[in-house]
Amino acid sequence: MALDYATLELLRQNHPAWRLLRAHHAPLVAGFLHRVFIVPNVRNLSQADLVEELEDELFALREQLGAETFPGTAQSYLNDWAENDKGWLRKFYPPGTDDPHFDLTPATEKALAWLEGLSERAFVGTESRLLTLFELLRQMSEGSQTDPQVRIAELQKRRNDIDVEIARILAGDIPLLDDTGLKDRFQQFLQLARELLTDFREVEHNFRTLDRRVRERIALWEGAKGALLEEIMGERDAIADSDQGKSFRAFWDFLMSQSRQEELTRLLEQVLSLPPILALHPEPRLHRVHYDWLEAGEYTQRTVARLSEQLRRFLDDQAWLENRRIMDILHSIESHALALREELPSGDFMTLSETSATVDLPLERPLYRPPLRPFIAEMALDEGDADVDTAALYAQVVVDRAVLTRNIRQELQERSQISLAEVVARHPLRHGLAELVAYLQLACEWPKTAVDDEVQEQVSWRMETGVMRQATLPRIILLRNR
Amino acid sequence: MMSVVDTTASHSTKATPELSSVVIPLLKGVLYQEDNPGLWSSLLILQASVRDYVAVLGLDLMLDEAEGYAFLRSRQNDDEDGQAVMPRLVARRQLSYPVSLLLALLRKKLAEFDAGGGDTRLILSRDEVMELIRIFLPAGSNEAKLIDQVDATLNKIAELGFIRRLRGQGQMVEVRRIIKAFVDAQWLADFEQRLAEYRQQARGPGGDEDG
Repeated sequence: MALDYATLELLRQNHPAWRLLRAHHAPLVAGFLHRVFIVPNVRNLSQADLVEELEDELFALREQLGAETFPGTAQSYLNDWAENDKGWLRKFYPPGTDDPHFDLTPATEKALAWLEGLSERAFVGTESRLLTLFELLRQMSEGSQTDPQVRIAELQKRRNDIDVEIARILAGDIPLLDDTGLKDRFQQFLQLARELLTDFREVEHNFRTLDRRVRERIALWEGAKGALLEEIMGERDAIADSDQGKSFRAFWDFLMSQSRQEELTRLLEQVLSLPPILALHPEPRLHRVHYDWLEAGEYTQRTVARLSEQLRRFLDDQAWLENRRIMDILHSIESHALALREELPSGDFMTLSETSATVDLPLERPLYRPPLRPFIAEMALDEGDADVDTAALYAQVVVDRAVLTRNIRQELQERSQISLAEVVARHPLRHGLAELVAYLQLACEWPKTAVDDEVQEQVSWRMETGVMRQATLPRIILLRNR
Repeated sequence: MMSVVDTTASHSTKATPELSSVVIPLLKGVLYQEDNPGLWSSLLILQASVRDYVAVLGLDLMLDEAEGYAFLRSRQNDDEDGQAVMPRLVARRQLSYPVSLLLALLRKKLAEFDAGGGDTRLILSRDEVMELIRIFLPAGSNEAKLIDQVDATLNKIAELGFIRRLRGQGQMVEVRRIIKAFVDAQWLADFEQRLAEYRQQARGPGGDEDG
């Protein structure tokens, strides 16, 4: 891309990353998005969570800078940032939830990475990068070599080198990387690891663009059916077979292998415990950076799978042809409807099958019942005195069913089933038979119970007078309600 | 799960409870894969027997594996004139003109949405729906009345099961993809024809409307 005046002017106007840097609230936007998305490496956040975070951030800023600094609400800022004229966030509805989610756009990520790069690095490793470049060149040249002689010669040369090295080590001369060399490589590792993570968003974005392009081509297709089908067949795996798709696939296969993951874990552990590396205070998250890759990759993988499936569905020739026909009919419907806008048809116009069958069973209807008419006697109530012992009213034994229910629930938390006798054994009866009867009643109402008539169980309790009472009843088993 | 300690063993007659457990929900409404994956997979397995069974009731099983929904539709038997017309088990609902029109417009929106990108869920705000239908309604009527009217129409469509209001966000509606199966090319063509007839009638003298 040529960085001439016209291109740059266009970019300045249109590229979301540049717009972000120029934005009035750029420090707020960049700082906030970096904190919630990049630092914890989160792929997407629900609107509720994000609003809460932003609300906190805004609150803190207003405390510092004055209440009128940021007039909008968190919600309005988020929606604004997701608008097409900003394009810093992607707002979408993931399957199965009603709460919108947000993700960074690749452009925002670029702007944030550039801002991060502004801070000076303590030390710029050059050696390791040269070695990496050298290694890449060697892979390309070897990988494209078709002459077997040359390849064998190359392999033999490497074997000789290895032999020499083995001999040297056997002789007691062990070459070690010095601290600078280690730091150099580690820094490059850090940078590449971070870049890999940020690339996933872009990869996904590329897949989306690809998908949209294919759809556009199909939608604009004006041609014969045979040619159309040919085109459709050709496009079936347009996403998976693109360069982007293949490269991603290879990456994924490499990372998915169990042995690779174990090796990565082992190597990371070993490297991160080296004294010179420890002195650099690496983030603890680095220990599991490959899991982060895996997670981010999996997300992209799912997106790709979904896009491919969607595209296939869209290309389903039946649905496609129907869609075209529908659009034609709809044009005509719209023109009719426009003509009729001042005299709308009233009453029922169309019919449509319902989505369920109507089953109407006359015998399911309740029979006629004469309504109950309350008889209200008009009579004046007299006030009077009566000599009644009211103590009986207060001496009632009250069995609290709520407590009993709680006892059963509590027992069922630890096990999936329990017999009634066990419940009583663990929670002794305090009101005697009345309480036992209440238990039996509860057992009848319990959602899942089983009664075993074959086995008898004994339940005993002590009366207030000190007498032991015992009851025999069939085994009743209460089951957990799930 | 619950039959582990079931000692009563009251029902031992194997009246294919699996079949009942699939057919009954189907009779009660649309079966979605995402709502009930377990039921969906048993439907796929029992597909043939379900078809046989509902055929007795004069119904056809419509199953879209790609979209993940299934429902029952009355069998079209109008060409067999010798046979008496069977009563319909699945009733036809009468729709007013605004409901019909909005259904057609939502169907169009879904078609455009499918052509535009890889997302499956078409979610619209009430304002967007308003913009869809506004130009087809008489101009100059007051805004509040228009909003009420569109709301009522949306409620009707929600009742039919073609849109769903999002939980916690009453202003947003999701257009359910099942609309594709009901508002199909055939239905739209009928609608178009009715409109054309109506327009003809409205233009002619005395022709007012048909009920």
